[in-house]
Amino acid sequence: MVSPAIALAFLPLLLTLIIRYRYFFVLFYRAVLVRIWNDCATGLSREERAFQYVLTQATPGDPDSILDTFDLWCSKVEFISNIGPKKGKILDRLLMEQSPLTVLELGSHCGYSTVRIARALPLGARLYSVEMDQGNAAIVEKVVRLAGFDDDTVELIVNPSDEVIPRLRSDYGLERLDFVFMDHWKKCYLPDLQLLEGSGLLGKGSMVVADNVLFPGAPKFLRYIRKCGLYEWKIHRATLEYSRGVRDGMAELVFQGIK
Amino acid sequence: TQCLCATTGVEDEAATFQQEHRHTGRRRDNDREKKRKNERRRKRRASKAEEAGDELPERSEKTDKSRRRRAKTDQEPKTGVKEDGEQFKVKSEKAAKSRKDVKNEKNKKAEQEEAEAGERNAKGKKRRESAQKDEKEVKQEKVAVNKKAQKVKKKKHKEVVETSSEPETSEADGDEEDDEEKEVRPETLSAEELEMLKEAVDERKKLIQSLRGKPWPMKKKLVTLRESQKFVEKYEGALGKGKGRKFYAYKVMMTKKWMKFQRDFENFKTACIPWEMKIKEIESHFGSSVASYFIFLRWMYGINLILFGLTFGLVMVPEALMGRPYGSIPRKTVPRAEEASAMDFAVLWDFGGYAQYSVLFYGYYNNQRAVGWLKFRMPLSYFLVGVGTVAYSYMVVIRTMARNANESGVGDDNSFNFSWKMFTSWDYLIGNPETADNKFASITTSFKEAILEEQESHKDDNIHLTRFLRVLANFLVLCCLAGSGYLIYFVVRRSQKFAIDGLENHTWWERNEVNMVMSLLGMFCPMLFDVISALENYHPRVALQWQLGRIFALFLGNLYTFIIALMDEINLKRDEEKIVKFNISTWEAGLFNGTLWENSTAPPVTIQPADVPRGPCWETMVGQEFVRLIISDTMTTYITLLIGDFLRAVLVRFLNYCWCWDLEAGFPSYSEFDVSGNVLGLIFNQGMIWMGAFYAPCLPALNVLRLHVSMYLQCWAVMCCNVPQERVFKASGSNNFYMAMLLVILFLSTLPAIYTIVTIPPSFDCGPFSGKKRMFDVIQETLESDFPAWFSRVFSYASNPGLVLPFILLMVLAIYYLQSTSKSYREANVELKKKLQMQNEENKKKSKRAALKAQLDLEEARKAASQNTEQQKNNSGSLQDLEVDEEEKHCTSHRMRHGKNERDHPSPGGDKDHQPAATRAPVPRTYHHDVRGPPGYLPGFPRQSEPRMSRAPSLQRH
Repeated sequence: MVSPAIALAFLPLLLTLIIRYRYFFVLFYRAVLVRIWNDCATGLSREERAFQYVLTQATPGDPDSILDTFDLWCSKVEFISNIGPKKGKILDRLLMEQSPLTVLELGSHCGYSTVRIARALPLGARLYSVEMDQGNAAIVEKVVRLAGFDDDTVELIVNPSDEVIPRLRSDYGLERLDFVFMDHWKKCYLPDLQLLEGSGLLGKGSMVVADNVLFPGAPKFLRYIRKCGLYEWKIHRATLEYSRGVRDGMAELVFQGIK
Repeated sequence: TQCLCATTGVEDEAATFQQEHRHTGRRRDNDREKKRKNERRRKRRASKAEEAGDELPERSEKTDKSRRRRAKTDQEPKTGVKEDGEQFKVKSEKAAKSRKDVKNEKNKKAEQEEAEAGERNAKGKKRRESAQKDEKEVKQEKVAVNKKAQKVKKKKHKEVVETSSEPETSEADGDEEDDEEKEVRPETLSAEELEMLKEAVDERKKLIQSLRGKPWPMKKKLVTLRESQKFVEKYEGALGKGKGRKFYAYKVMMTKKWMKFQRDFENFKTACIPWEMKIKEIESHFGSSVASYFIFLRWMYGINLILFGLTFGLVMVPEALMGRPYGSIPRKTVPRAEEASAMDFAVLWDFGGYAQYSVLFYGYYNNQRAVGWLKFRMPLSYFLVGVGTVAYSYMVVIRTMARNANESGVGDDNSFNFSWKMFTSWDYLIGNPETADNKFASITTSFKEAILEEQESHKDDNIHLTRFLRVLANFLVLCCLAGSGYLIYFVVRRSQKFAIDGLENHTWWERNEVNMVMSLLGMFCPMLFDVISALENYHPRVALQWQLGRIFALFLGNLYTFIIALMDEINLKRDEEKIVKFNISTWEAGLFNGTLWENSTAPPVTIQPADVPRGPCWETMVGQEFVRLIISDTMTTYITLLIGDFLRAVLVRFLNYCWCWDLEAGFPSYSEFDVSGNVLGLIFNQGMIWMGAFYAPCLPALNVLRLHVSMYLQCWAVMCCNVPQERVFKASGSNNFYMAMLLVILFLSTLPAIYTIVTIPPSFDCGPFSGKKRMFDVIQETLESDFPAWFSRVFSYASNPGLVLPFILLMVLAIYYLQSTSKSYREANVELKKKLQMQNEENKKKSKRAALKAQLDLEEARKAASQNTEQQKNNSGSLQDLEVDEEEKHCTSHRMRHGKNERDHPSPGGDKDHQPAATRAPVPRTYHHDVRGPPGYLPGFPRQSEPRMSRAPSLQRH
């Protein structure tokens, strides 16, 4: 019916789409197809595979080595949305500048960012890491112990973030959070931020850092911080972890309090 | 004090007038008061104790200025000079009084009144009343009003007296006084006061006019403006007397009304420019580059309207009204075989059937020399309109280009790259915060890129890779072009095969294959080019030009492939025509013979025009092809707009609620407006119009329709579903580029049209030129039959090659001459620019030198002064030292170099300051500091850094 010439005329469009969005296709392949294939083939979850690799390759007690091994696995073998080395450097810098005493991490996934933060903390600081998934939490626990951090430095809370935040003050005796790192569900960024505001744990100068605000993206979160006027904010533009062409950003918020 | 004076507003003047009014005829008193006022102010600056001490001489009202000045300078040496200056100023300009003055005055007044117990006031009132009585024209009521007012005034003064113990009377009092005064003043003003009032009003007016240029904060400006306006409004009407005043008020009112009317008229005029507001809105949202597309579209619309007017008014309407009606002759009738389907929508959509046999196409027109009672020369008009549209287009395009070229001027973009970026990159028409953000970001990036470029221009490490990538990109683009060309060629060949088979046997897709493929390729290939150009890593502006060039090549290739295919088809039709011609002659002979045989006496058989066999009118075929191409092009554009922009926007917007990543910021996002593609589409569309308009007079009309619709549709689409470009370009430079493209396209599109007109004979049985050997024979025919014989003879002489060739030669020479003169002008311009620059630098240097010198002198003077004081302190003020000082002023630096000055300098500290600096080279900061102009301390600079700055270059000068 439709002549082949007309179909051929669509070839440039197809080529354009493929070339323009090649990074997304690669990402799709690595993050979804390979994962499904390996899940079926090994019967382990992605995080468990990553942990196995780290366990065999990394030096125990050395956070740097563990992080490097994670990076290697994520860029060469499979894809896990850790914060990645590039954005991780920004995070390190912010932590060094801030040197916070109480840190809250929402969404530790498989422990990469937990180790990263714990590594940069000053002496006597404490990191509360919130993870919703039981299996992931077990891996985080192992990774953190492997890196050589004890209970005093890193406290793992296995619960959804929206349940944990209101109880932080009562259950954990927290008065103020100096630093909050968000890397869980992108949809939860905004409600969790509002919960934090409501709980009064954020003081003047508290810093909130949210990863992946551009891709996968948290538009409502960005719109809120733009409008509410409680924060001094900026977005560190970078690319998505372990991928070159996908643009992403990390939002850095400094709580100013109500003026 | 002038500034202060300007700001003081209404109360000031009013108070002044009031005061003067009260003391009418007591000028001397007034003067004395002024003196006292000055003293008073001066005294205010001094301490309270001094004030008490000075009370007596002030009261006495006999002032010895010089004595007091000396006293003052003794007491406060610093402020003395300044005070004097101020005093002088105040004396010289009476009208300009600062608020403080007035307040002091009030205070003074109050004190006086305290002393004289209001006696004088009463006297003044009496006096004025008597004066009023002298005037015969004064009415009773007015006097009553005056009395009342004066009573009120009296009360006011008492109040003032009460509050006079405070240093400053409250402003509210002054205000109230003003309000009451307003009713009283006009009648009671003397000529002198009127003059003053006039002056004040004029001053206010001047102030209002010059307010914009004043270096004040906005708030102050606003306040001043409001106050001044109020003042002017209040007192303007008071000028003039009686009738004159009324007239004046009337005049003022009328001026105001007139101004308002003018403003409204301007607004109205803006509203009358079609789509101006729409375009402005888009401009504010998307920056001027997107707006420039719409302005271009509007311009194109205007041109098409004129083309449409020409063809519609001079060709279509006369033929429709005065030509033979439909069905009268074969060329104006649908043939019998097509009659059944002539009204079907599918046929009409393809411009067959009734649409084909109408004024819309060439074939419908009759070759009758003159139509209607006007004796309208139809064929001639047809030909001239065809030529005229093209000529008009050339004229307009070239004129616009010339105008734009004037505006662009002599540009050397490379010399002040960063300055240009710094001071001219903002687009002041942007009114949307998001666009402003984008613009801001793009300026920042451009800075970063420019800096990187500057850095990279020094080190070219990976030039081979870049070159390779660029070559590769061009190779890929060439492949694309070749592929698209081949595809079109293939499709055209196939369509010819279909045409030979008979179009009815094929589907709609196959019949419209050529147009579809052309439109699709024209749409998708630019996208591919865009992606490929990312390889090249060019600067965006350069990349844009490459992109434009590539799209241009693509469109041109497509268009010319299409034209070549059309030419083939024309040749086919002409072969067919020969056969038909032969058949018709035999058919006619047969018809004639038949009737002859049957019945010789019967009248000749009337044959329905629909039954008459006819040739394949190739001109109509060409016209149809172009119309179809335009229609399919338009359709593709609109459908792309709806699918690619609108549908995408809708999906992105509403799927975003339930999608796992942010669709708006990330992957599909909203589309950007593609300026270059749209402009090129418009240009090529216009080219097709120019090409086809001769064979299908309806084309300009169709194009006007298309442009009109696309104006609204695209305006809507841009505002509704596009986002501002990430890199907001300014459109200034590109306009002439587009125009040049348009000119090229115009030339390229008139070429085939002229070729067909000149070389191919017209069809024998359709169109206005049927029966002639060539289309342009119509001119010769007109010359022969419609003009006197001598004219045609003159024309034949004029068209003699012996005359034409020299004329052409002359023209070429003239063009060459103009070209070379313009070139030399341009060079002279550049030269002048350079000179200007040089002079500027020279001036800078000169002023810098002067500043340095002045600084040096000042410093010497200061040093001398300090030495003097120290000498006085040390009690060693001998003449010799002074002489040395004098000498030093002239040749310090010289001496310093020789190190002889150690003896002369009593203060070793200062010496230490100078010595190390003398060996230092001038630092850039020094330069900037000095350029600022006259020497003097910057507030932030420490004193000791000054000699260092000045000394170093001065030493080098020696």
